Formats: sequence, C-alpha cells, structure tokens
Amino acid sequence: MDLHELTAAYALDALDADDAEAYEAHLAQCERCRAELAELGETATALAFGTEAPAPPERLRGAIVAAAAAERSNVVPFPRRPWAFRVAAAAAAVAACAAVVLGVWGAGRSTKTEAVSAVVVLGADRHATLTVSGLARAPQGKTYEAWVIPAGGGARPAGLFAGGGTSVVHLRGTVPSGAVVAATVERAGGTTAPTTAPVVTAHIS
Amino acid sequence: MSPRQADVAQLVEHFTRNEGVRGSNPRVGFEPILRARRIGGMSRPLAHLSDEALVLLAARSEESALAELYDRYGRTAYGLALRVLRDERLAEDAVQEGFLAVWRTAARFVPERGKASSWILTLVHRRAVDAVRREQRRRSDTLERAPEPAVGGADEDAWLRLQRERVQDALRLLPDTQREALELAYYGGFSQSELAERLGQPLGTIKSRMFAGLTRMRELLGEPGMEMSWTSTS
Repeated sequence: MDLHELTAAYALDALDADDAEAYEAHLAQCERCRAELAELGETATALAFGTEAPAPPERLRGAIVAAAAAERSNVVPFPRRPWAFRVAAAAAAVAACAAVVLGVWGAGRSTKTEAVSAVVVLGADRHATLTVSGLARAPQGKTYEAWVIPAGGGARPAGLFAGGGTSVVHLRGTVPSGAVVAATVERAGGTTAPTTAPVVTAHIS
Repeated sequence: MSPRQADVAQLVEHFTRNEGVRGSNPRVGFEPILRARRIGGMSRPLAHLSDEALVLLAARSEESALAELYDRYGRTAYGLALRVLRDERLAEDAVQEGFLAVWRTAARFVPERGKASSWILTLVHRRAVDAVRREQRRRSDTLERAPEPAVGGADEDAWLRLQRERVQDALRLLPDTQREALELAYYGGFSQSELAERLGQPLGTIKSRMFAGLTRMRELLGEPGMEMSWTSTS
C-alpha cells in the first residue's frame, strides 16, 4: 500500500483505524504528506461549514465548560522520578474523569528517563488519552505503540505514536478497571502484541 | 490580580496588539457581526481574540477561552455531528468529546499546520465518525436516503449561512462521482474500503475520486470570498 495515497482519505476521516495509524506513523516521517495534508485537511473541514442544523441545546455549552473544569482539577502532574511506581486514579467520584500518573521504566534509558512524563486522562466512558512527553523520537523504522492490558487478559493494541516532544494518543477502545496502560517500541506500523519491554506503564484503578 | 490572571491579561494584550498583523486579510468582513453577537445573553469578553490566541489560552487552562471557541464553532460542530450521526444525543456527545479533546490537547496545537477552526472541527468530526461506525443501525439507511434538508433556523447568523451556501455551491460544481465520494466519506462516515464495496468500484478509484474532489473543492473555495474561518479584520 502506498501511504502517500492516503492523504485525502485521512483528511476526510475515511480510513479504517489500522490504516489511519499506519498513515500517522508515516506522516511523522514524510514532509510531502504533511504539506499535502495541511492543504487537504483545511478543505475537508470546509465541508463542516456546509451543513445546516438547528442550534445545539443550550445546556451543551455549560456541560462542556463544567467537564473541562472538572478535568483540570483532576489532572495530577507527574513527579519526575526515574523509577517505576503506581498511583491510584484520583477519586473518580469527584467528577466525570480521573487522571492517572504513569510509572516510567528505566529500561536501559537511565540517562533519558528523568525528562519523561506521562499522564493518562480517563473519561467517565472509560475512553482514555495517553500524553507522553520527553520520549526520544522512535528510531527509523520503529514506532511507539500503546497497549491496554485488561486484568487477566492479553495486550490490546491501542494506538501508535512517534515520540519526540509531546505525544497525545487517544487510546483505542475502552480501558477497564484494573487494566494496565503501557507503551513499547515496535516496528513501524505496529504489531498485534508487544515485543519489547514497556517504556511507560500504568495501573488503572 | 492573581499571578495567573496577570498572565492571561498579558497574553490577551499581546494578541490584541498583534491582531492587526495576522488579521489583515481583506477578503473577510464578518467579524463585526460576530463581535456584536451575544449567546444566550452571556457576555463574551474574549470575543476580540483570534482562534489561535484562544487555543493558547485554553492550553493554560483558561475555561473562558474554551467557552469562546464553543461560541464560535459549537453550532457548526453540532450541525456536522448531527449530519453524520442523525441522532441528537449522539451528536451532543461527539461535540462534547471533541471540545474536551481541544481542552486536553490545546498545548499540542501547531498553528503552522493549519487553522485552529479546522483542528477543532476535525476533533469533533473524528468522534462523530467513530460513533457512527459503532452504530450499526445507520448502515442500512444512509446510502438510500438523501439527507433531509435541515432547518437552519431564524436565529442562525448571516456569517454561517453565507459559509454554508458557498460550500454547497462548490459541492454542486463537482462531478457527481467526486461529490458522492466526499459526501459519503465526510458526512456518511464511511471508510474508503466500505465505499469501494458499496459503490462497486476498485479502492484505487475511490481514492482518486476523494483526492480529485478535495483538490477541486480547494480551488473553488480558494477563490475570493471563500474564506472559511473566523479571521479578524482591522
């Protein structure tokens, strides 16, 4: 499959999840596709202005702002320590979401780990976002892959990211209570099961 | 004034001062309409800021910036989500999730890669598409049923109506096969492989139609007066 050809479909959100992930990994390495996506993405979004509809219910604005405020108060900053640890989710009862601090495993990267930080923001619907800062960009031909590992279950691929700077990964599927969220280095395009030791890992309560 | 308020005030001043530089696009003259608008009687103290400045403020956990972005694009986002999902409750969820994604990832927004409005609507669209693909029930009826002409409502402002007409005009100028591919993908939430199967065409043909359709749309919308997002004039 020629990944260059997927730009229009990606701009329209018309790729299956696997193709979208492969394309995103490709995007990190392809200047031409980034430039093309910048143009076609703007055009695709123009289609959003082509719809007509009644105004949204008034409660929606307040609901969004309240949820945002609740999230802010729950996000726990990551203490920069070079060893693994676990922190229970902030009391989920407080609001519609909880944040979990990830332990960062040295895994032979002791010179780099101190700058690595990672946070999982868990929504009330159990969908979660993993934000990782300070991981070096994945080497050529490699990618970082996020995993959701339910208690007593196998690892489920949950998204790819390139690393370097800050990466935000909307984890695919839901994160059940008792699961572990982890990220490993894998070959470009990702794998169906982790093949290396995790660089970040978190227990989700 | 707390340190954080001072910080925000400084940012606001910075962007207010620089607004004239980045907002010098002479094609757009809609801002006065928007500036005068009040949603539900609420005042909008950040109404003079650019979208990009608001995203920057949102990245600093300024809730009023998120509210202002919602005031600008919430209606479009909701219309889009409703078009894709055809269910008010699901559309509300998609809009809320999309704006919360804006909130969570605002610090990651890179202005060089595109406009803030596009980024916001993309986040909402993605959630709507994810949701519609989970909803099996729409699969059977979307292709057969033309989208019902939704009512814009008398309260819709002139700017949004103008943008809608321009996009619809541009769509009408596309060859039928290209328009069909764009509409089914973007408004229907169908993936390219689903489209290939349903339309009985090779995947390569679907890819070509989407690419050609978007490229042509880009040319049409690039013509004078086709600016899509909130851009200030001064």
